[in-house]
Amino acid sequence: MEPTRDTHYTLVDLLDRVLDKGIVVYADIIVSVAGIPLIGVNLRAALAGMETMLSYGVMQEWDQKVRAKTTGIGKQRELPLPVCLS
Amino acid sequence: MQQDDKTEALVTGQGRYLYCVADSGEQVNLGAIGIEGSKVYTIPYRDICAVVHECPAEPYNSTDPEVVNSLVLAHQKVVDEAWERWGTVLPLGFDTIVMDKDGVGAEENVRNWLQSDYDNLKTKIEKVRGKAEYGVQIFWEPQVIAQSLIKTSPEISQLEEQIKSQSKGVAYLYKQKLENALKRELEAKADQCFRDFYQRIRRHVDSIGVEKTKPGGGNTQMIMNLSCLLPRDKSNQLGEELENINSIDGFSVRFTGPWPPYSFVGT
Repeated sequence: MEPTRDTHYTLVDLLDRVLDKGIVVYADIIVSVAGIPLIGVNLRAALAGMETMLSYGVMQEWDQKVRAKTTGIGKQRELPLPVCLS
Repeated sequence: MQQDDKTEALVTGQGRYLYCVADSGEQVNLGAIGIEGSKVYTIPYRDICAVVHECPAEPYNSTDPEVVNSLVLAHQKVVDEAWERWGTVLPLGFDTIVMDKDGVGAEENVRNWLQSDYDNLKTKIEKVRGKAEYGVQIFWEPQVIAQSLIKTSPEISQLEEQIKSQSKGVAYLYKQKLENALKRELEAKADQCFRDFYQRIRRHVDSIGVEKTKPGGGNTQMIMNLSCLLPRDKSNQLGEELENINSIDGFSVRFTGPWPPYSFVGT
């Protein structure tokens, strides 16, 4: 059996890798991808990116606002999107 | 650049889109081979370099899966080019963009990152040198497997017999019993297959990563999803092993690659 790179399911397999894997740059010099509704997988990337930024204290103000909102009202569907700070 | 309406992009600074880190200190322009025709070039530090293009400090973004596909494929194409050229690369995930910050330019920030993460990056380069990633997905057809379980499991074949000799109402209860028993046996069988196949595949690869399984198509179900790291052109033995698994009744295998080692460069 030979490995293949050029069929439909191969594309899906590749997308999983390119969207979800690769080196992660843990630094606050990276533009956040939060809020990008790519194809499901991206939500995880967005969340991971957000957590990374939070752990560096970059978005603390945003985080506190969101927490206050979500604990106050319960399920909040429309959250303000975090914006990367330069 | 695709921009979703809902995304506020207040950042106006310059960015560098990162494709991969390559095993070379070469400073070179690779031409307009990047995402949306961007000019791709390298930012070297000592004996490694980052493969980048210049862009606004905003993520590439779209809600259209077709557009996403083409962006992601463009990313992969550049990583492939770099892989061909330098032999060993550490790919980055899609949409990793370094921006300028506190008066330090994006390009400088990329070089600073290469410098501060140098030892780690070099360790990863050595780990994947000369190797490629292959995807292995194993599927089975639960109905076919269930048929063979009916023949081989004493508990299930006994229940089958009992159903035949019962009245309709009682037979219904036995049928439920049978379904539960089958479900248990299928789960046990899936566990056993996983262990067996894992051991068989393990012998032919250097590293192995277990990925989440995904829905299969039609009558099939994915029971294993693996990323395998092995010398780039030495996939013959793995291929033979997978052929053996593929030829078992009710099983099928997908074998993809060679890919740059996306799954073996993370933390």
